Amino acid sequence: MDKLIEQLQHNLSQVVGFIYPNEIELHWGILVVVYPYITGLVAGAFILASLERVFNVKEIMPTYRLALLTALSFLIVAPLPLLLHLGHPERSFEIMITPHLQSAMAMFGFVYIWYLMMVLVLEIWFEYREDLGRWARSGKGWKKYLHYLLTLGSLDHSEKSLRFDHKAVTFITIVGIPSAFLLHGYVGFIFGSIKANPWWSSVLMPIVFLFSAIVSGIALMILVYGLSTLIRGKSIDMACMNKLASYLLYVLIIDLSLETLDFIHRVYESVESINIMGQLISQKLFISLIVVQLLLGTLAPISLLVLSKFLRLPDELKRLLFFLSAILVQIGIFSTRWNVVIGGQLFSKSLRGLTNYKMELLGLEGLLIAIGLLVLPFIILTVMVKILPPWKDQKPAVS
Amino acid sequence: MDIIRKIWNALPFPDQTKRLLIIFVFFITGWLVVRHHLVPPTFGQRGYYRAAAVDSIAALPISFVGQSQCVECHVDEGAVKTASYHRDVSCEVCHGPGAKHLDDPSANSLLPAKERTLCTVCHSYTASKPTGFPQIEPLTHNPADPCIKCHNPHDPKPPTTPSACGACHGEIARTKSVSHHASLECTFCHQTQELHKISPRAAIPGKPANRDFCGGCHSRSADSPKEIPRVDMDSHGDGHLCWQCHYPHYPEAL
Ligand code: HEC
Ligand code: HEC
Ligand code: HEC
Ligand code: HEC
Ligand code: HEC
Ligand code: HEC
Ligand code: HEC
Ligand code: HEC
Repeated sequence: MDKLIEQLQHNLSQVVGFIYPNEIELHWGILVVVYPYITGLVAGAFILASLERVFNVKEIMPTYRLALLTALSFLIVAPLPLLLHLGHPERSFEIMITPHLQSAMAMFGFVYIWYLMMVLVLEIWFEYREDLGRWARSGKGWKKYLHYLLTLGSLDHSEKSLRFDHKAVTFITIVGIPSAFLLHGYVGFIFGSIKANPWWSSVLMPIVFLFSAIVSGIALMILVYGLSTLIRGKSIDMACMNKLASYLLYVLIIDLSLETLDFIHRVYESVESINIMGQLISQKLFISLIVVQLLLGTLAPISLLVLSKFLRLPDELKRLLFFLSAILVQIGIFSTRWNVVIGGQLFSKSLRGLTNYKMELLGLEGLLIAIGLLVLPFIILTVMVKILPPWKDQKPAVS
Repeated sequence: MDIIRKIWNALPFPDQTKRLLIIFVFFITGWLVVRHHLVPPTFGQRGYYRAAAVDSIAALPISFVGQSQCVECHVDEGAVKTASYHRDVSCEVCHGPGAKHLDDPSANSLLPAKERTLCTVCHSYTASKPTGFPQIEPLTHNPADPCIKCHNPHDPKPPTTPSACGACHGEIARTKSVSHHASLECTFCHQTQELHKISPRAAIPGKPANRDFCGGCHSRSADSPKEIPRVDMDSHGDGHLCWQCHYPHYPEAL
């Protein structure tokens, strides 16, 4: 109790202007920031993988399977921040058994299951079925049995059957792209449809979310592909890297244009909330929005990428610039999520005052848990890569 | 076994999809089974909730019965209270839940609380209460005695008609008494009938209506003592009402 009061007093001392009593403390903290960040990475990585399949972009082939596994690892973690945030996580299954079709929040379980089971897991299964069969026959130890189990006993490797696998993967990818849009567009929709909150309520929200998701997904794949190749002691495929970097640049520009459009639109409309929004940006979000999201997270990587595209630089330096941009983009997208989730709760619904967010370090909704949740996908990915090696170069020359 | 194999092979789609199908059927059946067992039977009958919840709430024991029940027997108290300031305060707010008393009045006596704290829950001073809500400062308002010594709880009008406006508008009176307007009587600015002090809502006092009222002392041409500061009525304050900027009971604050 004392701790609660202490925290309240701290927040009270940061309040500016008039604010209703139940707005002083934020209800959605860092975990709710982590959630859209992670789903964004999932959708982004998957859309990148789909590019290779549907539009047949050969250069980024080396990242195809890796992107699928990365998307899966992050997707497994995606609901955890929400569950940790719930007061009664053990009741969460109820949204699955009594679906409520008119509540966007309540449909999360179905959007999630659709994407996890019908898209990602199925696509990965068809993509790996042939390899799984081979590993099950020629492997040893427990892995052999695990691989056999994963094939579901389907060991038919006739040409007809492999052709079917291929078709299935393409079909699922085509269904998957709108599904990935649905998954992350859905997260944007949740925020965008809150009409009482002028910072969130905007039809552009799902679209902005989507493009920032693609940005973060591509940047993530630059990092994951680059690092995993270095760790394996192989050489990085520069054609693939260049392609990824160009995609990153293009999507960053679209993302920036959309955000600017949103901004201009708000300033031009100048509805009654514009004053408090101005204060929000200039006082509470200055560092995280102007400095981190805009300068460091968007303009800096755009300039770096443009530089590396138009100057004739040695490959090593280029790679370094790509890595740097990718890291900056990750930081930038994380603060984008922060600015949406936290920023939207910092001002009073009276539009007359601002409050403050004080992050916990240790608690269930604290910083350490958030960091844990961001590291967890990489641990899952490592295990997954051990069981389902995505590298084509390890494969004996059978097509 | 053979027959199963025959059917398996006869199904007109690829081997792998048949295996997946089994898994899907397994999951969907699982979902249906779980749903069947965990969703309460009356869920969704009347809306997106368990209809039987209404019955379980209705089955909770009743503790409060409402004022209309009390006045059936306590006609006198009812009559007194209906005409008093406490007409909107229900009996059980002060006397506690009365359901048991209804069953057997003498066995379950509703002992009335007599402490000052019963009354100060509603009447101690808080700035956020609306103008005119009767408030007192418990530490200074006759601290030695229980409230009911002077106020009848069922008809709590003050025992004597207050002489000063501050009896009811304490905060304003205190503020004004330390302001530059301290020398001004309330009634100079507010025309007040005597009735207002007995039954405030029956006679609402007047309030200054326009700038000229203040100009009576503060305009350059006003016929008032020299030490009163003057302003140019034509330009000062852009023609807004004076009290949009100056709090009349504490004019030095802007
Ligand atoms: C059925 C008629 C009846 C109803 C209805 C009823 N009362 Fe009474 N009440 C009585 C009677 C009779 C007594 C006197 C009991 C005694 O003297 O032992 C009494 C006594 C009291 C007393 C105590 C008086 C004292 O001197 O101890 C209070 C207080 C009281 N009632 C309040 C209430 C309230 C409040 C309600 C409504 C919730 C209520 N009553 C409803 C019949 C009723
Ligand atoms: C503001 C609080 C309050 C409310 C509301 C209230 N009472 Fe009382 N009541 C008291 C107090 C205090 C006493 C004790 C008076 C005393 O001991 O002098 C009392 C005494 C009584 C008595 C005892 C007999 C008497 O008159 O001394 C009865 C009966 C009674 N109340 C009934 C009711 C009924 C019926 C209602 C609703 C119509 C009601 N009261 C509403 C505070 C309240
Ligand atoms: C549940 C809240 C509540 C409690 C408890 C309560 N009162 Fe009141 N009281 C009111 C309300 C409401 C009014 C009417 C205010 C109005 O009309 O604006 C009022 C009015 C009054 C007045 C004003 C009469 C006037 O002439 O302006 C007095 C005096 C008073 N109560 C005394 C008491 C005493 C003494 C008690 C304790 C026995 C008490 N009140 C308990 C709510 C309460
Ligand atoms: C010694 C008698 C006495 C006692 C005890 C007493 N009062 Fe008063 N009260 C008065 C008188 C007399 C007034 C009329 C105003 C004045 O002259 O101060 C008054 C005025 C009030 C008013 C203002 C009425 C209004 O319309 O704003 C309220 C409220 C009030 N009393 C509540 C209480 C409460 C609550 C208690 C107990 C904590 C209490 N009184 C105890 C004598 C008393
Ligand atoms: C018995 C308590 C009481 C006394 C004494 C009293 N008032 Fe009031 N006064 C009230 C109440 C209650 C209201 C609120 C009426 C309403 O807004 O419904 C009020 C309201 C007012 C208002 C505001 C009217 C409005 O339109 O908002 C003024 C001005 C006022 N009183 C002046 C005075 C002056 C001046 C005196 C002394 C001469 C005085 N009152 C004495 C109870 C009192
Ligand atoms: C200089 C003139 C002046 C004097 C003296 C004055 N008032 Fe007022 N009062 C006003 C004006 C002007 C308003 C209207 C303010 C508004 O509408 O914002 C007002 C509003 C009020 C109100 C209703 C609004 C509120 O603030 O609650 C009350 C009650 C009131 N006065 C009571 C008093 C009492 C009691 C006194 C004496 C202690 C007093 N006034 C003395 C000028 C005065
Ligand atoms: C009866 C004459 C009179 C009326 C009417 C009057 N005032 Fe005053 N006012 C005074 C006096 C006396 C002073 C105090 C002068 C001094 O500082 O000695 C004063 C001071 C002021 C001050 C200056 C406070 C300071 O900073 O020193 C303001 C502002 C003011 N009044 C506003 C108003 C407003 C607004 C009204 C109309 C609601 C009003 N007055 C009506 C007599 C009056
Ligand atoms: C738009 C806001 C506004 C309005 C409306 C307004 N004033 Fe003022 N008043 C001020 C400010 C600000 C000051 C202090 C700065 C100054 O001296 O001009 C002031 C100062 C004063 C002073 C003190 C001057 C001195 O020499 O110390 C008086 C008296 C005064 N006002 C009276 C009035 C009267 C009477 C009215 C209505 C006719 C009024 N004011 C309307 C804003 C306002």
